[in-house]
This record gives sequence, C-alpha cells and structure tokens, in this order.
Amino acid sequence: MVSTEQRISVTINGTTYEREVEARKLLIHFIRDDLDLTGSHIGCDTGNCGACSVILDGRLVKSCMLLAVQADGSAVETVEGLADGDELSKLQQSFKDHHALQCGYCTPGMLMSATALLRANPHPSEDEIKKGLQGNICRCTGYWNIFEAVKAASE
Amino acid sequence: MLLREVGYARPGSLGEAIQLLAADDGARALAGGQTLVNVMKARAGSPDALIDLGRIEELRGIELGADGTLEIGAMTTYTELVESSEARARPILGEVCAQIADVQVRNRGTIGGNICTSDPTNHLPPLLAALGAEMTIQGGNGVRTVAASDFFLGVYMTAVGPGELLTKIRIPAGRNDGFAAVTLGIDGTCIVSAAATHNGGLTLAIGCVDAVPVVLRPASADDDAVRAAVQDANLDPPSDVHASSEYRRHLAGVLAVRAAHQAQGSS
Amino acid sequence: MTTTTIAPEQTEVAQETWKGQSVPRKEDRRLLEGQGVFVDDVKRHGMGYIHFVRSPYGHAHISSIDVSKAEEIGGVYGTLTGEEVASLTDPFFQISSVPGANLKDYALAVGKVRYVGEAVVAVVAETRELARDASELVEIEYEPLPAVTDARHARDADAPTLHEDAGGNLMWEGVYEWGDLDAAFAEADKIVKIDELHFHRFNSTPLETNGALVEYNRGIGQWTIHTNNQFPGFAAIMMGPAMRCGLDKLRFVTQDIGGGFGNKITSHPQLVACCLLARKLGRPVQWTEWRTDFHMSMSHGNERWFQNTEVAVKDDGTLLGFRTTALDDAGAWLRYEPLGGVIWAQVTPGMYRWKHIRVDFQQVATNKAPCSPNRGYSRMQHLWFTERMIDIVAHELGLDPVEVRKRNYIRADEMPYETPNGCVYDSGDYARMLDIGLDLIDYAGIEARREEAESRGKLLGVGIGSTLDSGTNNFAQSQLINPELQFSGNNEVATVKLDIFGEIVVTLGTTPQGQGHETTASQVVADILKCSLEDVHVRSGHDSYWNSHAGFSGTYASQFAVTGLTAVKGATEMLAAEIKQLAGAVFGGVPPEALEFADGGVRIAESPEAFLPFMACGAIINANNAGLPDDLNVTLNCRYVYKPPFQVPDIERKFGNLTLTYATQIHVAVVEIDPETGYYDIVDYVAIDDCGKRINPQIVEGQVMGATAQALGAVMHEQFTYDEDGNLLTPNFYDYHVPHALDMPPLKTGSIESPSPFTELGTKGMGEGGGAGIHSVCAAIQDALRGHGDAVVWDSSNPYHRVWEMLQHPAEAGGSVSVVSA
Repeated sequence: MVSTEQRISVTINGTTYEREVEARKLLIHFIRDDLDLTGSHIGCDTGNCGACSVILDGRLVKSCMLLAVQADGSAVETVEGLADGDELSKLQQSFKDHHALQCGYCTPGMLMSATALLRANPHPSEDEIKKGLQGNICRCTGYWNIFEAVKAASE
Repeated sequence: MLLREVGYARPGSLGEAIQLLAADDGARALAGGQTLVNVMKARAGSPDALIDLGRIEELRGIELGADGTLEIGAMTTYTELVESSEARARPILGEVCAQIADVQVRNRGTIGGNICTSDPTNHLPPLLAALGAEMTIQGGNGVRTVAASDFFLGVYMTAVGPGELLTKIRIPAGRNDGFAAVTLGIDGTCIVSAAATHNGGLTLAIGCVDAVPVVLRPASADDDAVRAAVQDANLDPPSDVHASSEYRRHLAGVLAVRAAHQAQGSS
Repeated sequence: MTTTTIAPEQTEVAQETWKGQSVPRKEDRRLLEGQGVFVDDVKRHGMGYIHFVRSPYGHAHISSIDVSKAEEIGGVYGTLTGEEVASLTDPFFQISSVPGANLKDYALAVGKVRYVGEAVVAVVAETRELARDASELVEIEYEPLPAVTDARHARDADAPTLHEDAGGNLMWEGVYEWGDLDAAFAEADKIVKIDELHFHRFNSTPLETNGALVEYNRGIGQWTIHTNNQFPGFAAIMMGPAMRCGLDKLRFVTQDIGGGFGNKITSHPQLVACCLLARKLGRPVQWTEWRTDFHMSMSHGNERWFQNTEVAVKDDGTLLGFRTTALDDAGAWLRYEPLGGVIWAQVTPGMYRWKHIRVDFQQVATNKAPCSPNRGYSRMQHLWFTERMIDIVAHELGLDPVEVRKRNYIRADEMPYETPNGCVYDSGDYARMLDIGLDLIDYAGIEARREEAESRGKLLGVGIGSTLDSGTNNFAQSQLINPELQFSGNNEVATVKLDIFGEIVVTLGTTPQGQGHETTASQVVADILKCSLEDVHVRSGHDSYWNSHAGFSGTYASQFAVTGLTAVKGATEMLAAEIKQLAGAVFGGVPPEALEFADGGVRIAESPEAFLPFMACGAIINANNAGLPDDLNVTLNCRYVYKPPFQVPDIERKFGNLTLTYATQIHVAVVEIDPETGYYDIVDYVAIDDCGKRINPQIVEGQVMGATAQALGAVMHEQFTYDEDGNLLTPNFYDYHVPHALDMPPLKTGSIESPSPFTELGTKGMGEGGGAGIHSVCAAIQDALRGHGDAVVWDSSNPYHRVWEMLQHPAEAGGSVSVVSA
C-alpha cells in the first residue's frame, strides 16, 4: 500500500488529468511542470508567500505544501479558470481598474485568495479583506490597491 | 524545495494507519502538512514513508458533551475549530486558532499536528497546557490518555511513541481563558506567548521560553503574584535573531499578566 | 465563479492627451489570466535542470571536489566545477581601481569560498528532483577559516583576509570634500557629534527569484539566454569578455519579470555557469533560484556605517556642514560595487543647503553575500544619514524638526540648484510638500493624539522623512571610482515602425518588472500619432536581437520616464516626420506643415478628404515602392537613441553633474509604542511625491505605495543578520518577515508636479523612492521616546526588541551623541 509512485486523477478547472507521479512531487510542481499550467507561481521555499495558492475541494490552500498524490480524486481551481473565455471575472476586472497589480507575479495567488474570500464572505470589511489575503505576499503594490480592488468587487 | 524520495499511503481507517506506522520505523504520520512538508522541502527531515491521515473519519469531528467537555479529533483543522459551533463552548480555542498564520494554513493545519510537532513557537502547546487538556493516544498496544503536563517532552518530542497516533484531544469545560503573544508581524510566528485559565485558581503556560510550555500556578491571580511566579520560574529563554534571552524573559512576565487579565475578563 | 465585468474597456473617445491620464494597463490582461511568461514558465524539450551546490562555510579553502558519484546517477547530465570555470573563462571585469581591481571573480568559487551560500559546483539532471538528489552526492572537502562579519573590524591587523590578491579587506576608498570645513566648524555655534550610525543590510526580495533558461546554438556559437536579468547591457559587458566571446553571441530575452528592484542586476555569474553547461552538455539548461539561495547569495543592499560624524550648526538651527567616515560593507565580492562609493554623491547635501561637506568613504569586504544595487541604491543610505543628522541635531538642541527642515531645505526659487559637488537638482518645492504632508497627517492635532495615547499607556511619536529619488545616471561618475574606466553618459533606445498593414509597433530597450512600460510608452506614441492606445502595439519585454537597445539599456535607477519615454518620443517623432514626407509625396508634393494626423492616418489639414491611412503608408514602403521620388528616403522603421546632456565631471575635485533628474518624496509617520513590550504600530502615514509631469498618475502612485511598503518592512522587520561565523540567520521568508496584508497601516497620498526643465517630457524618473519610510519611522520612534529615556535612533533597523532596549537602556541601546559648543 505504501508506494513511491502513484497514478492519480486530479480535476483542474473542470478538466480531469490522469498521471503517474512520484509521491514526493509537490502539487505546485505537478500543476506547473506536468500539466503546463504555469499561472500559479512559486516565490519561496517555506510556505510563506502564497504565490502558489489554489482552491482544493472548495478550500484555499498553498499548493507548495501539498503533495500531488494528496490531490488524487480532488477538484482544484487555479487562476486559469477564473475568466470565462475572454471575459475577465468581476474580481479580475476590479484588479485591473484599481491598479492592484504591477509585476503580476503574486497576482494569481492573490486572485485565488480573494475569490475564496468573496465566496465565503460576499461583503467583507477592510479587516476581513486583510485577513483573507494575509497568506499572500506582494512586494510591488504595498497591498493598498489590492484591498480597494477586492472591496470594489464585493459591492 | 524538493523532497527526497518517499513512500506514501492514504489509509482509510485508524487501524490501518497504526499498522502502517508500526510496520516501518521510518514512516511518519502526515496530518495537515503545514510543518512536515516544509521540513521535507528543506531536507531537514526525510521520513521513508508518509502515512496520510487525511481520509480517516475517526480522527475528525468535534463533540460537545453534556458536561461542557469538548472532544476534538486530532485531524480537526484550525478553520474547523474557528467555524465550529461546538467549539464555541471554549471560545479561546477558535480565537487563538484564528491568529495562526493565514487562511491557507488554517484550512490544512490541524490541532493534532500543531501539538505533536511540539515546536516551542507553536500556539497550541501552551494553550492546551493551560487548559489542562488530555490527549488520547492509540497504538498497537491499545489506547491511553496523557495529560498535557506529561505530553510535551521536548522540542519536536511528545508522548506519542513509534507506531502510535494522537487521536483525540479532550478539553475540560470552562470559559475563563486568555492568550497573549508578541509575534513577528501580525498573526506571525510567536516570539513569546502566554496562555491563562482561571478556574478557582490561575494556571499559566508560557511558550517560546523553553523546550516545552512552562506551566505556572501563581499564589493568586494578582499582577504581582503572576509576575512573581514568572520570576521564580528562573526562565532561561533562547536568544535568536528576533529576541534576546533578556527580552524573552521580560515579555514572559508582561504577557503572563495580560493573559491573566483576559482570563479574568478584564483585558 | 462570477462572470460579469464591471465596465467596458476605456472607450477611445478623442482626448486632449493620453499623457497625464491613468489609463488601464496593457500588461494586465495576461497577468490576471495567469498567462504571463516568467522565466520558469519557459520550457525546452530535453532541458536539464541545474542545482547549485553552495558553501556551508563563511570562509574556507576548498581542498577537493569529487563529482563522480553524482555523475554516476542515471539521468544526471553533467556537472561544472570552479576549476573548469577558471580554465574556460577569465575573471569578471572589475569596476574598482586597486586594490579591488585585483579580485578574481568567477562564475563558481575557485580555490576558496568566501560566504555561506557561494556557489561551488553545478549539477544538471533530467528533473529538478534528480538534480537536487545528485547534488547531495557531490563531495567537497573544506578547510574552514576564521570569518570576518563586522565591517568595523575588517581592517584590523588580525582580521582574516578574504582576497589575498587585494592584500587585505579594503576594496576601495576615496575622500570627498567640498567647501571649507574648517571655516564652517569655526563659524558654528555648536558641533553635534554622533559616534555611529548604521544603515542595515536588507533588500527588496522580489517575489520571483532570479532564473534563466539557456540554449546554445552550436553551429554559430551563440547563446540565447531567457532570463529575468533587469540590466542585460551590464550582464553582457561582464559575461562576454569573461567567456571570451563577442557580445552579439549573447542574446538576452525577457518577457515578464516578477519584480526587480535592482536585485536582478548581478546574476551574471550564474548565467555564465548556465552558458558553459549548455555548451558542454549540448542541451538547454534551466536554473531557478531558490528563495533561500536568493537570500544567502544575491544582491544584498549596501550596509553602511557612518562613523565619527560631526555637524556644524548655528544656534538658530542653520546647518553649515558635516563630516563623516562612511564605511561600506560590500560583502564577499564586488559585483557592481564599488559604484555605491560614488552614487550616493548624487545627493550629497540631501535636501539641504549646507555647503561644507566631507565624506571619507571606505568599502571593505566581509564574509557575507555580495552587495549589489537595491532599491534606492546608495542614495537611500546617504539620505537616511542626512535625515538622521537633521533629527538628531533638532533633538539635541531642542529645536522643532519641522522648523529645522524649513530653515535648511533648498527652496523652490533656488532651483535648478547646484549642490556643493556640482550636481544639479532640477526642480522641486520641498517646503510646500512638507506642508501638504503635515496637513494630511493633521500635525496640528498631534499633541492631543499624544495625550490620548498616553492615557492608554502608549507612547506616540511623529516623524518626517524627506528623500530624493535621483534618476538617469551619468555613468561618468564611475571615473570617480576608477579614472581608467571608459564609461560616461547614458542612453536608451526605442524603435517605432509601421508594419506592412499599418500596425504601429514599438520596441523598447528596457526590461520592465511591473512599471507599466508598455502602457506609458503607448500613451506617448498615441499623443504624437493621434491614434488610439489600442492601435499601438508595444512589444513585451526585451530581446537583444530586436537591436533596439544600447550599452546602458535596462530598467533600473529610476529613469524610464526620462530615458525610455524620451527615446519613444524621439522615435515616434522621426516616424511621424517620415509618414508626413511619404504622404506629402503621395499627395503630389504637399509640405509636411500642411499635414496632420487623425483617425489612424494622415491627411491634408485644409482638405481632410485627402487621407492616407497608416495601412497604406506601411504597404507602400514595405511592398509597393515603385514610382516613388528618388529622393524620398523613408523606411517607416525609426530607431532613436536618447542621450541625456552630460559631461565628464572634474575627477580631481569630484565635481560635476551625476544625475539628470531629482524626484522628491516627503513622508510623515505616526507610531504608537507599547512601552511594556517595545511593540509598535504605525497608526497614521502620509506620503507626498513629486516626480515632475506624470504620464500615468495611477502607475506613479503605485510605485510610491510599493516603495513605502518596502521601506516600512525594512525599518520594522527585514534584516539580513549574520552570526560571527557568517551564517545568515534570516535565509527565508519565515525568519525574514516582509509586510503582509494585516501589517499595512492606513495610508494617505498626495502629490505635486514640478516639471523637470531638463527633460523633453518634463518627467522625472521615479520608482525607487529613496527609502522615506525608513527615515520617517526612525524619526517617529525617536520622537516617541522623548521624555522616556530620550534614546537616539542610530540604526535603520528597529524591530520591537530594539525599541524595547532603547526604552530600557537608552544610553547603551540609543545612539551616542554629544554636543560641543564651538
């Protein structure tokens, strides 16, 4: 029952992928390297930065602290699934309107965290927004415009 | 950032999990992974196999007894504790869990993982020590309970032995609790923490000052008595980049008083 | 998942000008959709992944290296050692004069390691995991040596020497002196003596680390380097000679870069290792730097001690001059240093009118990571120093820091202002900005707030931080470091063309990391060609083979709004002139003055039915040029090189203009300290900026906010701290705490525009910011401690434990200051 490799089946943004993976492979590497979904990013090696944040079975998680094998049978949402074809989500559009991104590296993780926040709490206060984004580091914006963008998207 | 080769299994029952752990000295339980996976990424520790407890129903759930006692499954996440209506019987649990790191960590990190790691900077060891929690441990030789005072043995060391698992944490009834900490940034890692319970007398537990929480029972709940108890404990905390030993010793006294105030409803 | 968009894209109604408007960014869509291309997103079939084996010692001889066990593993493609590097390459060019000039710096450690984290061996394998696994089988024998980690002891007789070739740890020194120090100190009423001030070591930790994917074309001996290096011109100059190849063999390609802040300038050693491996192994090689590796080895900001500072001041607070010894801790190698030894001189007097200044600058090597540019590079350190002097003087003499500033600030009517060392501050109104800031923070109400805080047991303090963001370097300042260098001036390139179907295509020389170059460039172009922003296609990123760059091209040093955009303006005006020439010829000899741009084409102003769309222009020149007049020399492919007006300074006197523009920021911080714990909050914060004409105000404000957040992180938490063996105690985001969402204070911003008289667009470069957040919080903490020990803030790093120590032991933990009557 204990094995170093497993065949897993993971659904990402509605598409199911079946792959053979090493047990040691992190979910973020599976998403980026095996599935070529490079929207989710890596910014640290201690689980502090949140650039790898995805939604797993409805819960926001850092995919660098999960093994791919742990996602077997689960449904994952990444940034690539937020827009509807060419139409940005309300949140994505709000980020654009409020200049809530500069280099864009933290943005996918930030969007996933904000998406999870607004699902659980459609009208968050500023403190609740900060709490919801606490796990995502941004070095460019200082966060203030991100708070504005999330607030605006919640109205 | 890249783990060494490791075996993996995701058993569906407690019994299976215990068997797998007992079968291999190098096997370790994988709870929320918010610490263990990072340790493995750094290659600071590399188990031969990970036994994923994520699908074991027997380790989940929060029950509130008629006498106000809470029984919390070891795999209960911080988020579940924060959102649980049962856990509101002892509000400090949710309040403290809500301060741990961030949403992502809280969605995966577990109360069992937190205390079994026994990292001196973790929030829950001093809290549970102050509350007088009881841990249920199950292994090949059966089930036993261990009081919090006997549970934490050292840095990364607890009473849970090889081939055993922490299954439940029992919290006695009560509501007069407090928790105070100075952290590295808001909701960050604790530099010093203090938990307090007032139940007839005052029980304090100071975190980050020793390998395990330092439990104190001051003569009374007054500020002077609290400070004296911390003084008499002759703490010799570690120095590191975030705090000198002197600063930690000082914070211990200040935070113990604040936690004690909270526990008496006067923060 | 919600699907409704809030508002349609900005409609293209004819506007007066696009410049000055906060138009939405062109970059955003792909970044929001997760479709940006960052370097780790680039993949090549058969590529090998690199892992660098790094030194665990701060200082040690390398006795032996054995890679055989690593190479035996299936799937490991090969390795590279320092010995190979030393035979295949020459040491990197050194900017310094002797003794720093003697350093032999290679892509991997050769013979010795000099800091924890220094790369020693590279291993390449089929997968990331395998490279990591194999690296554990590399056997390296070290003989540890004592380490020196305190710059103040680097020149002691018994200090271990890092570089025998340099004969000691002094890398560079120079004396800067202007005015008449003796007269100034004689005229002074008081001399304020400050023993030691310390600017600490940190950097901007961009969320994306350095990286590259390098391909080698064996047939033509050319490397394509996909990377996120933000100054490819510099990388090429360093790499070409070292690798014994022409610069055109090094093609740099970047698209999206996840933050730079100067910390992605000196990745050339690793890039050389990647190039050598790509050639040796005959396959593309991929490198992504670990966060830990970045912290341990990459681009720490200059750590600087200011020793034995003396300030000459009149009783009324008029500042006459100062002298100090600036001791700069460069770390183990000079990778861009010692340019930091002169760059500070762009802002020698800070924002103040004193004329008599002496700085003895010394730069030493220590067993720590090499310093390289970090946001605010070298000016921030000096400006922090000048602000500390102002506040400490005010503190010691019982003067109001606001009054001292206003008395001594350079005035708007003195602009352009020549500083004691011949730099020219182009424009600015510091007093007015300070007033705006004080008003926004409600300075008048501070005493009431202080009392209210005290009633809650808290100590409240207010502090001002004023700073300059000098931009567009004159690289001749390098000759003040080393008179034999052949660098001077500056340049940037842009190419604007009409394609065959009339598409307007803009190619920049820069390497943006979030500053919105695609957007602001399109604003400049659209204003000239009177077209929509959508009509302007700006290529993303940088590619040397676009041939639209020059020696100094890149994105650093707060300059794009001047260098990049003026190049864009120049290229577009060239194109506009050519379009009019062409149209004039097509219309049968109409002069250019009679033509105007409109509706995506060009027409005769008096009779607009005579209209030639851009598509026609492009088609004629590119595919349909028979019958055109012989003397019509247009290509509609216009490359323009912007060259700022610089001279070579007087090297002897160290006098001359070193920078073209000076943006200003003035911040005011209010802090509340919990005296029982030293914990403090920033409870109110104001940032006022002036960067001349703003092309896109929202982008400018974004930069101000980002710089503010980084400065607050630096003063409160961020530090690269070493133990005495050279181990870095903050090697990752767990211990090196950067601000997260909950840490952010309330922020108010304001701005004025003092256009630069020296730039065609009236713009000034901005972006680095100048660290005003550090200056203001240090001042606020000192203010809060007045009457509670009166400790002087002497270090730029003030985490809780230090504030507590300043309360407990003000004499020991606070700065040592004395005042002498002159």
